[in-house]
Amino acid sequence: MGFWEPLFFWIFAFGALATSCAVIVMRNPLYCALTLIADFFCFAGLYVLLSAHFLAVVQILVYGGAIMVLFLFIIMLLNLRGKNLEPNRFQIHYVLASIAGVLMFVFAGWAIFSAVDMETVAEERAQYAECVEVVEEAAETEAVDDAEYGACVALVGEPDEWVPHRVDSQIPNLSADASEEAVEEEYVHRLRQWKAGTATPAEGKYPSFDPDRTFELPPSLEPDPEPADVVPGREGLYGTFKPVSMMLVNRFVIPFELTAILLLASIVGAVILAKRRVT
Amino acid sequence: MAWVSTLGTYWEPTLAHFLLLSAAVFCIGLVGVMVRRNAIIVFMSIELMLNSVNLTFIAFARYRFEMDGHVFAFFVMAVAAAEAAVALAIVIHVFRHKRGVSVDDLQELKY
Repeated sequence: MGFWEPLFFWIFAFGALATSCAVIVMRNPLYCALTLIADFFCFAGLYVLLSAHFLAVVQILVYGGAIMVLFLFIIMLLNLRGKNLEPNRFQIHYVLASIAGVLMFVFAGWAIFSAVDMETVAEERAQYAECVEVVEEAAETEAVDDAEYGACVALVGEPDEWVPHRVDSQIPNLSADASEEAVEEEYVHRLRQWKAGTATPAEGKYPSFDPDRTFELPPSLEPDPEPADVVPGREGLYGTFKPVSMMLVNRFVIPFELTAILLLASIVGAVILAKRRVT
Repeated sequence: MAWVSTLGTYWEPTLAHFLLLSAAVFCIGLVGVMVRRNAIIVFMSIELMLNSVNLTFIAFARYRFEMDGHVFAFFVMAVAAAEAAVALAIVIHVFRHKRGVSVDDLQELKY
């Protein structure tokens, strides 16, 4: 992963935590809304680090743009001041609620750290780096221990199909180190599997209700026939606009339409609620 | 120098880092919902919690090399937009009746 990616993770993580705390601590709702916008930008940065480029853009457009403009507009419109702001004195339920929140966080952290073992993660990383060295050395000198070389190739792959920095961790370790290239390669591999009909429903990818019946789409809705050929020279697909929209209009088309109906209903409801009198 | 290697282990973000961050932001939002009396800030705290859930969805999607989580996060965003529109309309309505947006003014439904 290198140096810069973790650095930006920590910057965005602490930014998100700090701005979240500011949102619930600030007395004036206007400052709360402004720090919340900063918070959404931090989240967008984290989405980019997770290769979710489309959602990062949507986060900024929809959350940082549309929703927060709505909030700011309402705050300015109401113009709260004086007795409508919260009293600036200590109250006992602040402490009680904070204790409850900390307890909940401790519970969540306990649940996560009972599943993760950072020592195993460190071991896996060290083993991986060692194997990369072995394979690289073998490519240069041709004189290595066969058994060791075979084990290392099984871990990191052949040098000609090299995917930098990939660790296939199993669920209990929750480490999932993978570079951008590795994520995209794995995703394209899965798409091909599904296209060839070799993906099993247990993998959770496009299962049909009847496992014996093949799931066919009209040609206009077919996903990328050969994902690698769509953008020559670049297999960058994971997290971009195209696969997300493909899933929206293929597998998730009914929830998508229901969301549209929900948005329409909420628009009508908001208008009716905000009107002084409905005649 | 044992702490340097320990720090190195935790320096690179893994799925656990994202899950912990998301849990922390969720708990902060939860405290905000419980503590604040201003209805607008309560809604902002709810947005915070929805965002942390989105982060969990996307982190797991990346971990599994699949994109279903992205679609779910997309739906969560759409629902949050709808919720914000209706909630702010309710806030305006409440402000007209009570001349304030404190949730302490709205206790009629409690009894």
